[in-house]
Amino acid sequence: MVKVTLKHIVKSFGDSVVVRDVDEEIREGEFVTLLGPSGCGKTTMLRMIAGFEKPTSGEIWFDDRLIAGGKTFVPPEKREIGMVFQSYAVWPHMTVFDNTAYPLTLRKMPKEEIRTRVEKVLEQMHLSKYAERLPGQLSGGQQQRVALARALVAEPKLLLLDEPLSNLDAKLRESMRFEIKRLQRAFGITVIYVTHDQTEAMAMSDRIFVLNRGGLQQAGTPEEIYDHPVNPFVADFLGKVDFFRGEAENGKIRLPELGGQYVPCTGTETGKVYVGIRPENLIFTEESGGTLSGTLETQYYLGDVDDCRVRIGDTLVRVITDGYAYKKMKDGQNVRLSVRDLMVFEDDGSLEETLRIKT
Amino acid sequence: MRRISAALTVKLCLAALLFAGAALVFLGFWGKGICERSGFSDGNSFHAVYQVSRDADRTWSDRIFPALKLLSEKEQETLNQVCGSLLSEETGEPAGMEDQEFQYKALFTAYLLGGPKLAASERKKIAGLDEEEGERLRPELLRCITEEERELPEAARTNAESLSGQERQAMLFQLFFASAGSAAPDLTGHVNQLKKSVRGRDQQLQAVRMAAEGEVGGFSRFFIGSSRTVILLGILLILDVLLLALMMAASRTWSFDIKWVLILLIIDFLLVFLVLPLARMLYGAFFPEGSFSLSTMKRLVTYPLNLEAVKNTVIVSLATMVMGTAIAFPLAFLIGRTNLYGRKFFRSLFVISYMVPPYVGAMAWLRLMNPNVGEINLWLRRLFGLGDAPGPLNVYSIPGMIWVLTTFYFPYAFITISRAMEKMDPTLEDASRVSGASPLKTVFRIDLPLMLPSLLAGALLVFVSAASCYGIPSIIGKPGNVNTITTRIVEYTALGQKGLQDATALSVFLMVMALIVLLISDVVLAKRQYITVSGKSVTPALVHLRSWRKPLTVLVALFAVLVTALPFATILLTSFKTDVGKSVLADGNFTTANWTTVFSGSETIHCLKNSLLYGFAAATAGILISVIMNYLKQRTVLKGRAIPSFLITLGSGTPSVVIALGLIMTMRGNYGINIYGTAHIMIIAYMVKYLMMGMRTVSSSMSQVHASLEECSQISGAGWLRTMLRITGPLIFPSIAAGWFLIFIPSFYELSMTTLLYSGTTKTIGFQLYEYWTFTSQPMSCAMAAGILLFILLLNFLLSRMTKGRFSI
Repeated sequence: MVKVTLKHIVKSFGDSVVVRDVDEEIREGEFVTLLGPSGCGKTTMLRMIAGFEKPTSGEIWFDDRLIAGGKTFVPPEKREIGMVFQSYAVWPHMTVFDNTAYPLTLRKMPKEEIRTRVEKVLEQMHLSKYAERLPGQLSGGQQQRVALARALVAEPKLLLLDEPLSNLDAKLRESMRFEIKRLQRAFGITVIYVTHDQTEAMAMSDRIFVLNRGGLQQAGTPEEIYDHPVNPFVADFLGKVDFFRGEAENGKIRLPELGGQYVPCTGTETGKVYVGIRPENLIFTEESGGTLSGTLETQYYLGDVDDCRVRIGDTLVRVITDGYAYKKMKDGQNVRLSVRDLMVFEDDGSLEETLRIKT
Repeated sequence: MRRISAALTVKLCLAALLFAGAALVFLGFWGKGICERSGFSDGNSFHAVYQVSRDADRTWSDRIFPALKLLSEKEQETLNQVCGSLLSEETGEPAGMEDQEFQYKALFTAYLLGGPKLAASERKKIAGLDEEEGERLRPELLRCITEEERELPEAARTNAESLSGQERQAMLFQLFFASAGSAAPDLTGHVNQLKKSVRGRDQQLQAVRMAAEGEVGGFSRFFIGSSRTVILLGILLILDVLLLALMMAASRTWSFDIKWVLILLIIDFLLVFLVLPLARMLYGAFFPEGSFSLSTMKRLVTYPLNLEAVKNTVIVSLATMVMGTAIAFPLAFLIGRTNLYGRKFFRSLFVISYMVPPYVGAMAWLRLMNPNVGEINLWLRRLFGLGDAPGPLNVYSIPGMIWVLTTFYFPYAFITISRAMEKMDPTLEDASRVSGASPLKTVFRIDLPLMLPSLLAGALLVFVSAASCYGIPSIIGKPGNVNTITTRIVEYTALGQKGLQDATALSVFLMVMALIVLLISDVVLAKRQYITVSGKSVTPALVHLRSWRKPLTVLVALFAVLVTALPFATILLTSFKTDVGKSVLADGNFTTANWTTVFSGSETIHCLKNSLLYGFAAATAGILISVIMNYLKQRTVLKGRAIPSFLITLGSGTPSVVIALGLIMTMRGNYGINIYGTAHIMIIAYMVKYLMMGMRTVSSSMSQVHASLEECSQISGAGWLRTMLRITGPLIFPSIAAGWFLIFIPSFYELSMTTLLYSGTTKTIGFQLYEYWTFTSQPMSCAMAAGILLFILLLNFLLSRMTKGRFSI
């Protein structure tokens, strides 16, 4: 268990700044996910923590030990961390046992102890019967577990995972998620996890760091990030959301794009704002209730949910309701919607740009 | 029902073809039998007899018979008697053959082959008379034969005036035939051929009889005269049909696909020009007199010259392999995986030396390390004050040869290892680092074991290349009396029949060694080659050399100067010298005469033309085959499509001198093909050896063009041809161009095969350079070498331009 402190980390390659001023802390035993679209700097961040890249400026601390910054630079082999790579990076010329034993042999451990520790970790990974196989004879999921076993065998205080599940198929990915989470709890290890998959991040993390264009957008628990995103980018990157221009006045927001209808707001905003509404926060209500009215245009029945498009004013608004609703409604009928929750952002004219970057 | 009947038709066709093949073989053997029974060793003489017979026939009916008709009956009778006695004189057969026609035709033929001597100019003069004069002359000559006292016509005086009796009659007949027979130059050729192969009276008699009887008809002439070719064609047809049947059976479709014809044609080509020569050589080695015997192979150890050559070759190649790999691995690592200065430049520099003719390097090192006047030796002597004694380095020695071979062949290992290094997933190294291994430890525990298969493959490639090299040992080894297998093979072959046994033994040894190595690196090592999955395409993480960066760059640069710049500069400077012993800047020593003399000489121009032509032909035909084969291999599921590439690999793995010797042994008519000494045999040899270059280049780029790109074009409505021209063609064009150059360049400067296969008119620039070096002058040959090098560099530049930098050598 180690606390990782990132102090004003900047990384640039030539003219392009890849990580700009990241200043955060990863607590002991915490599971932190670096989340962001490709090219957001999350992998570079991780590689700096691992020691494969040197920060251009700023400092990295493991507990109270400076490991990078100023003149200090501890190479990766001295950082005592475990790491799992997207490509697994299981050495094809060594057996599963040798792959796993490698970090221990480098620590000059007695043979007997290596054997017991490797066997133990292979047992935990359900790999015991493959110990003498070469990686070429294993499936992707098995190779992934070898990579995990190798990362954990030396009982590092910090485990880094670089998109470890992205090469696995959907079913396996889901079960590995729980596996990793279980191992983290069992080993009580600090984990930094890199992914661009928001579901993965939400499911596993204690806290998520959302990164975009090298900058840290928001750091918080999955709930905080999902329910209270600090800007449209974060709101958009996690979950689904529709944005509308609005004018706030007297606890109400007028939405010109939705035929000038109003939605209530609790905040103190006035003037131009952006309103973000998640499709699951729009609820079909009785004829008399609700705040918005429109016409049901199409429904996509997905089994567990019903994904609807409702025309309000000139705009198509997405509404997700439970699959049961499908059986009661018909295309073309008039509907009323109430807004369970919404997000209000200041209109600084940056929304379009932010959203363009995302896609 | 229709399906079944279609399959049946195909099967019947196959059976018919098989029968046709068998018929050809039968007819061929029948013809060969007749040919042999008739006492002629080969079909060519038979062909000549036929030609002569036809001429005798025509001469009889057009000229002789009309002339006879003009004589009186009595005169004719006398003439017949004279003719009969002259014929029995000529052939040794008793006179008294009644048939007039036969008699005259036989005498005509006999006199073509022998008879009274008539100067060629006289013969030409008399044959050149116009028709009217001839018609007047011929009966007159005949009358003179019957009447000794009759005055000779003008045209016969010089030859017959001083003669009398039978001699006079014979000469007059000779003159008569000269006037009557055709003076066609091709007939003269056939007559000469016949004269050569007719040995002794019996055979002459046989020839005369056959010609006069006119028993050689057109049909039989073909099967008798070309019996070996017919047998070869028949066997090929049978093999093709059997192969086709196998392919069809394997793919379970008894329907015919035209593409199979392409595959079979290419297979036939390689069977005839690669498998047949190699098989013939193996047969010669183990069945020297038709029955199994190891006597030939025993010569390897029992004959000291052979044993020495084998020992030298093995020692030299092993040492070259070790040194070459020891240089190539760190170099590949430094250039491929570290932040060395000028990595790209060094890379292309080392790769380009791959394309320099080996003998040019040998010439340069010979100038640099000659024990007496070598530049490096002079310099070392001055530096260490060693006086004027020869040395300290001597290129004419085993270590000298190892050094030159190493400088030339280490790029082979360098390229193989670099490629593997670039393909390696860099996170494999990262994983080792986070596991606690230092960079150096990572190199030894991860990189080196992962590279091992490629390292071994590269090393074996160097070994085989060094063992099969002729250019370097021929230039360095001969003066130093360090003989290798290749130089011995060439020397033995020059001895002709006498040396053939030893040449075969050495060739078989070299071939088996090369093919075993090929097998190891292709089959055994390929399985050990780890395919590493790389999820994201990450540029390999570069190892930061930190304070080592500058010193290591200097070291690599020094090495580059030593192995590339220094030899090239030596060649270039020497080419401008009058006196090789002095500096080029010394008084009056600078001259451009070498260049002008060499490149204005008609001999050089002729050789240059040959080289360009042969290279062009080999490259064009080769790349065509490469494209077709790769297309069939990658885009179709036809059975048997991999057979040609197997044979092509075999060809490229076979040492050059072995290919050449095999071709010599099989392509002089004894197996139905006579192309020895022609341009064809050179072009074919180049193709067999270098086809692989084209195959590999086209293969890698075609596999990158995903089939869906073609399918999409077809969906859009384009036919097969349009798809090829508009989609596949442009996409693989750069590789086609590159493949063409990769066949052209080595064919252009080829020496090892050329040395064995050239004839007076088919000398190439490589061979010319070798002759200049050995017999004329070093500065002049250096001028030629520099010219060749500059030409290759120019081609490389062109290629890189044409393919927009995607390919260069």
